[in-house]
Amino acid sequence: MLFPTIDFGLFFAFSFALVWSLNAYNTLKKIVLLALSLAFYASWNWRFVLLLLASGAISYCIGLYVDAAGKRPFRRLALALGVALDLAILCYFKYLNFFIAQFLTLAYALGFHPSLAFVNVTLPVAISFLTFHAISYIVDVHRGRLAASRSPLDILLYISFFPHLVAGPIVRAHVFLPQLAEPPRAGDFPLGENMLLILGGLFKKMVIANYLAVRFVDPVFTDPTQFSRFDLIVAVYAYAVQIYADFSAYTDIAIGVAALLGYRFPQNFNQPYRALGIGDFWRRWHMTLSAWLRDYLYIPLGGNRHGALMTARNLMITMLLGGLWHGANWTFLIWGAMHGAMLVVDHAYRKSALYERWGKGRLAATIDWAITFHFVCFAWLFFRSPSLDAALQYVAGIWSDNGAPNTMPTIVLPLIACGALTQIAPSWLRGAIGAALDERGLLAQAAAGFALFYFIVVMAPSAAAPFIYFQF
Amino acid sequence: MTPDRPPAPQPAASPWRWARALYAVFALIVFCFPGGMVDWLDERNASGWLSAPLAVARAIDAASAAVGTKAVGEALRGRFAAWVEDSGG
Repeated sequence: MLFPTIDFGLFFAFSFALVWSLNAYNTLKKIVLLALSLAFYASWNWRFVLLLLASGAISYCIGLYVDAAGKRPFRRLALALGVALDLAILCYFKYLNFFIAQFLTLAYALGFHPSLAFVNVTLPVAISFLTFHAISYIVDVHRGRLAASRSPLDILLYISFFPHLVAGPIVRAHVFLPQLAEPPRAGDFPLGENMLLILGGLFKKMVIANYLAVRFVDPVFTDPTQFSRFDLIVAVYAYAVQIYADFSAYTDIAIGVAALLGYRFPQNFNQPYRALGIGDFWRRWHMTLSAWLRDYLYIPLGGNRHGALMTARNLMITMLLGGLWHGANWTFLIWGAMHGAMLVVDHAYRKSALYERWGKGRLAATIDWAITFHFVCFAWLFFRSPSLDAALQYVAGIWSDNGAPNTMPTIVLPLIACGALTQIAPSWLRGAIGAALDERGLLAQAAAGFALFYFIVVMAPSAAAPFIYFQF
Repeated sequence: MTPDRPPAPQPAASPWRWARALYAVFALIVFCFPGGMVDWLDERNASGWLSAPLAVARAIDAASAAVGTKAVGEALRGRFAAWVEDSGG
């Protein structure tokens, strides 16, 4: 059940009325929300609901045992067991065949012929996001950041809440669980701003991302040898806009839908292509994943506390695993390695005398932006390519022009311009327009919502492509 | 409501007020582009259990066609799709 479909529109319209009608009965409301979330997940494959329930059960039991206030023996061992179980589920479904393939390649290269077969396994939707939510809960409980929840209902709802279930944002337990303690109030969230957030997300996905993908990016990345150097270069920038429009659209809709149901989610994007430096980029792009990797991987590895060499090692490990999290493919590992290496350079530069002396002026900021933006776009080339060979073929095509005619459709440039607008529009604009709509009342809200929705439906293609981050 | 929570802002204090705006938007969109809902219900009505909503959707479709909003929506969609197709590539 994708967000921009009639299925989800009807599901949300039904859920909205049902959930708010039960607002005075918090436990009943949470039971209904859980049932709705499981139904949402079951719309892909009902068998994987069992996986969701198992993950919730592990988190609940381990959470109770490792609670910092409990003073139980072997708390650390129990935590390790919980994390290992979560990771084992993730590895089985997502990485087992990748590791088997690497093992077989190595074995054949060394002259061995092991009888090892690939496992026939279907990748459950949202398995990575599910795992991250589960791990963050038990680790935070172990660290004493929050008390273990006594309510299995709350834990299951935290892990399975349908707005964030499939592609985030990654909501921390200490942010979400307290919100379940008492019924939310509609008035805590402005309707106008959240309606604009959802409709803006629909526009980014249905119009910008879909058309860029279908009309230009997908054909170019499918067979780069058929396209000119110009097309190949523009397609890289077009993909940068597409992936931003696609993923930020999902999280905008998720945040807006959660707010309309009375729950607050953290921000996940903050105009990332304006970043000055790769460190800044990761503070603006998929912010909840960056924070997760920082808190549960980079800092436990030692962070920047043990000298420059160890900091570089920790950054590389974090980004390599961050890359691998996106999928079992060498392209993601290389993408992660590129970002890790650039973070090491960025980290060293920000601490250098060069930066102190020359790095803070307007010209330096412009150079910073240009290097960061073009590096990020170049790294997307590896992220998007279906294989390492295809990525290298793409780079070769940029390096040596094959003389093919330019075929970029005219619509690509306006779409890229729309993507650029999302990066330079003032962050307060949506809130200000939403507040103005709220002040003018129901008629203005409905009229503005209808006009924007109408505009999107007129422009949207007939079929909705899946969100890019569904596969992760 | 706990004492440490400030009062909710008045303009949007009721979810039912939100519901009126949201459902109005949904209803208007279905009225302007009724074809999508008819097709959606039709695809899922193999066993006939959606006959009643399908009949309602068809009635909305007929009403939308009668007042001309369906034709306007289809024409605009067709024109935009044609422009995208004509833009090369």
